[in-house]
Amino acid sequence: MQLQFGQILPYLPDFLRGALLSLQIAFLAFAMGLGIGLLGASVLRFGPRAARLLVRAYVGFFTNTPQLVQVFFLFYALPEAGILLTPFQAVLLGMTLNAGAYLTEIQRAGFDSVRREEIEAAETLGFSRVQMVWYVIAPHVVRTLYPALSSQYIIMTLGTSMAAIFGVEELTGRALNANAISFRSIEIFSITAILYVGITIVASAVLFALGRWLFRVRRGVF
Amino acid sequence: MLAQLLEEAPRFYTYWNLLFLGQAALNTLLVSFAGCGIGYAAGFVLALLRQRHVVTWRLPRWLSLLWTEWFRRIPFLVLLMCVFFGFQMAGADSSLFTVALVAVALRMSALAAENIRAGLESVPERQWEAALTMNMGALSTLFRVVLPQAWRVILPPSTIHAVSMVKETALVSQIGFLELTFAARMLNQRGFSAFLCYGTILVIYFVISYSFSRIGKRAERKLVHEARRRPAPELTVQGAAA
Repeated sequence: MQLQFGQILPYLPDFLRGALLSLQIAFLAFAMGLGIGLLGASVLRFGPRAARLLVRAYVGFFTNTPQLVQVFFLFYALPEAGILLTPFQAVLLGMTLNAGAYLTEIQRAGFDSVRREEIEAAETLGFSRVQMVWYVIAPHVVRTLYPALSSQYIIMTLGTSMAAIFGVEELTGRALNANAISFRSIEIFSITAILYVGITIVASAVLFALGRWLFRVRRGVF
Repeated sequence: MLAQLLEEAPRFYTYWNLLFLGQAALNTLLVSFAGCGIGYAAGFVLALLRQRHVVTWRLPRWLSLLWTEWFRRIPFLVLLMCVFFGFQMAGADSSLFTVALVAVALRMSALAAENIRAGLESVPERQWEAALTMNMGALSTLFRVVLPQAWRVILPPSTIHAVSMVKETALVSQIGFLELTFAARMLNQRGFSAFLCYGTILVIYFVISYSFSRIGKRAERKLVHEARRRPAPELTVQGAAA
């Protein structure tokens, strides 16, 4: 058998649009997950006992089960309860909930690393809890955990390939489609792999530059 | 809906269905842990290639870096497809288990290499220099000086990796290897409620992953604690204390 990369060149622009969609899904899920994570971490720190248990159960459940099966559940089992989600909605919801759980864990570590004096100073100045989280803790978390957060973003970009299984036409989905048309499997998936390496390296570089510019983070993302 | 589920549950949780799910769970465990084992062995070699005291040439170091970055930045699903069709193209008539195992091992080798490298680099450079000055060989320095100090850094992420591999193997269902997710899909296609099928395997995954991560954490605490309690070997010159 011979490799014929020429045959799949026409698919490349299509793949690149798919890659853009992958990055968009990752970005949306990450942004919403960051919000859930901030909320979850604040509850773990300041919330009442019952709420803390609830957040812990949420984090424990979503970090200990496969993301794929979570989305399977959302996509195939929820219709039985009368909730119909489109593939895109199911994937986005699943990824957001999953990211929220991991980002809660990450941000909890950030909350714990805030110095007592800073919290006490904020209390002395009469900050409310919400103000304290928003103006004192969140900036600290973003700054100190920037490397962990950006590597989570890269992991999520790779995780979006799972959406292909539900028929979302992101990069892997388009590769599967092109494979079904042309049967040039090994060529298509090796090109897809190269594209993923490319977009994650670009994303890493952008995140690194952003970290450098915003927070003077010295430690690399690579 | 609840009444419907309750009515269906006795038909779903029969002996044979549970046996089927149990075997699938064993397949999941087998492919993820065997893959992790092979991956860690390969990752160790890859990490060694990047130690400039062990391998002095630059080329293997670059190749190892390339391998690691490459396999870390491909989604597992795409890697799986590459391995699957790669085997097909090579004309190897291998089982789905082999394909899954190779894919898990390839991914794990990259993760393990990063982890082991970080562990080895956590040991201060002076330890290497001191040992080499005392005319110890590079490999014996590695095994007698550096690794005994590095494993405490290496161990915690490696249990996390092993457990996360149990979750990532859910994707292996896509090539038709009979593990938990594939078993759930089969049961679902046989007409059982998706709620029961996927709900059940979510619980099974949770039990596996949670218990292994607890065991890992406990082992880690115990080992690290013991290592700390044991007095560190003092490097004193004979008679200097007197």
